[in-house]
Amino acid sequence: MARINFCGSAAHAVNRRGFLSTLATAGAAAFAADMTRVQALALPEVAQDLRRNQKRCILLWLAGGASQMETFDPKPGAVTGGPFQSIQTSTPGVRICELMPKMARRFKDTCIIRSLNTRNGDHGGGSRMMMRGRAGESNLDYPDLGAVLARELGQENSSVPDYVSFYFATEGRMFAPGTPGFLGARYGSMDLYTSQIPENMRRAGISDQDHQARNELRGLISGQFERGRLSDSIDSHRQAYQRMRGIMAHERLFDINREPQAIRDRYGPTLFGQQCLAARRLVEAGVPFVRVGRAWWDSHGQNFETHQEMVPELDHVMATLLDDLEQRGLLESTLVITLAEFGRTPNINSQLGRDHFASAWSSTLSGCGIRGGSVYGRTDETGNRVADGEVNAARLFATIYRALGINHQKNYYVGVRPVPLTDPGTEPIREVLA
Amino acid sequence: MPSNPRNLRVAREIARRDILFSVARVPNSDRLFVASSTNKVYEIDASRTNAEAIEHADHGRYVTAVRLVGNTAISGGYDGRLIWWDIQNRRAIRTIDAHTRQVRHLALSPDGTKIASVADDMVCRIWNVASGERLHELRGHEPRTPTHFGSMLYVCVFSPDGRHLATGDRVGHVVIWDAAAGRQLSAVEAPTLYTWDGVQRIRSIGGVRGLAFSPDGAQLAVGGVGQIGNVDALQGPSRVEVFDWNRRQRVLEFTGQNGIVNKLIWTSEWLCAIGGGSNGLVMFHDVGRRASIHQGNVPMHVHDAVLNDDGNQIYAVGHQKIAVLELRA
Repeated sequence: MARINFCGSAAHAVNRRGFLSTLATAGAAAFAADMTRVQALALPEVAQDLRRNQKRCILLWLAGGASQMETFDPKPGAVTGGPFQSIQTSTPGVRICELMPKMARRFKDTCIIRSLNTRNGDHGGGSRMMMRGRAGESNLDYPDLGAVLARELGQENSSVPDYVSFYFATEGRMFAPGTPGFLGARYGSMDLYTSQIPENMRRAGISDQDHQARNELRGLISGQFERGRLSDSIDSHRQAYQRMRGIMAHERLFDINREPQAIRDRYGPTLFGQQCLAARRLVEAGVPFVRVGRAWWDSHGQNFETHQEMVPELDHVMATLLDDLEQRGLLESTLVITLAEFGRTPNINSQLGRDHFASAWSSTLSGCGIRGGSVYGRTDETGNRVADGEVNAARLFATIYRALGINHQKNYYVGVRPVPLTDPGTEPIREVLA
Repeated sequence: MPSNPRNLRVAREIARRDILFSVARVPNSDRLFVASSTNKVYEIDASRTNAEAIEHADHGRYVTAVRLVGNTAISGGYDGRLIWWDIQNRRAIRTIDAHTRQVRHLALSPDGTKIASVADDMVCRIWNVASGERLHELRGHEPRTPTHFGSMLYVCVFSPDGRHLATGDRVGHVVIWDAAAGRQLSAVEAPTLYTWDGVQRIRSIGGVRGLAFSPDGAQLAVGGVGQIGNVDALQGPSRVEVFDWNRRQRVLEFTGQNGIVNKLIWTSEWLCAIGGGSNGLVMFHDVGRRASIHQGNVPMHVHDAVLNDDGNQIYAVGHQKIAVLELRA
């Protein structure tokens, strides 16, 4: 199936022509036969319709563990509550921390799950669990959420990456790197660690025109070599090259300088804001999964000042992202998640810090497939335990999959062994789904 | 009575369940007024370990500062309000919406006629203690840090003669004001007290937490925590910098064990820095001789402290405890 890539620029058409030209040179009859369809999909009204329907996901990964009490599950007045108050959201009776006034105002698309009990308060173990939706298994390398969504939502012949991960902070980066696991490298992440625009995409001194000429020469030679041969490796090589060419052609998608200044101003000057704008550009172009890692929330000391610094940024950027997606008609098809490896202790330590806590913490789901303006689950009055609606990692992931239209009971096969997307018997949280 | 910091000992500990952020003392007594994480101001007799705490003003949010003028306690908190409280009749005299963000600190002028408040709206306001009238509004601190995050204005202090007022913020910017005219006189920078980690964790920690003028008012001590490798906790050296603030020159610095300096007390004999990390810390320094007198531990992370009239006893308040420290000669 052809992939719809929307970016709205004239360059897109040029690259598509170049792509088809390459295919013709290589004698790829199967691709050429689909040209009519590709051209039809390029019609603005068709492209717009399809881009609205394709499901996507942006994960705001709050690495290090944001405090649920200073974000989505405040406990003002409790001995554990800290200094901040709660404020009313746009849903009567639902209150969040006063550090999040913008999200409070536009709560209509968001569901808070306040009852995560994931039982792993270790950065590494917690990160792996919350990126995979399950505990690890020594003899099986599970794919993470991004790889599964790349597989389930991506398109086979995509010219854009299926899984992009921004993570600039060095702390915690290796606790949960993009992991395709047994799905294989095809669904691995494009990890951006130091530059917003992928590095080494294009070798210095070689122009795009040079690359195109080389591609045509490669196609000619490959085509001659391929004649009369059947080879998976040749096909794989061609696919990889085409994919890389496609990604190179979409380099501009990562470049937020191409956005109008007014849009850039809305997201704000911080790295997190810039990366969320890039994430919006990517999902708009058809990238099914983007993770934006915002590190590092591990506030063992000075928890309240840390959150006073970081939560307003999260509030502003998240609200802006949801607004932007909505205004572009993309929010119905884009799921925005906030998640971390765990939350933080209700107890306040001697450094005015909060420590690791996985027994009663929060995540949010916004947009695609979600019953907005709602809360699921409840913690007790001090926030020390789940009082109602306990949710583990598997159930959260089943809910995410269902929100995105994916059968959470689907099996992958590793050899002959069936491996379900979520642990057997896991059910999504129906109350969270639209 | 002379004091000797080398003989520092903990005379008494009073256990608490709350966190105490500020303390004021009734002169010539052991009666303390403390600002609590339970949103209230309490009166406690620190001569007893099991004394009952008497409730006073209620801010409905963390109370961060309390000062005493005669029979009036003035407190500030996360609600942005200042409450004048009659401590004898236990009733509010006056409540003012003083700031749009949380009040961090209060300073009382030596003659007791003016009180200064600082808050995270990055404004210092000076008030007439008797009438509650606002006398000056001092704006000299940037609302945003250089990396575009909200800043915080932590501390203020009057000079011993009451003519000058100093204010210190998160990024280490300290402004010295003419307290009568409400005019900026000078500024000094202590950027080492602010750690911005733009590589590992992309956030910051630190700030100016303690300020004290020298007895002659010519120098200003600035306290906090030095540069921190891991901003997850207070894992950097406690740090004090002393400035000749007229010449805007740093003349001395000293560091101690890991933790943050939350309070500075400067007498004719010594400069005391007190605070904490996981544990409480205290340092005494002879500024004239540029020599350390004593460094040690106190039983808890200390947020505020006050000296007795004789200068040989410190009442320290902090994490779930009040400690009375003796410095007898």
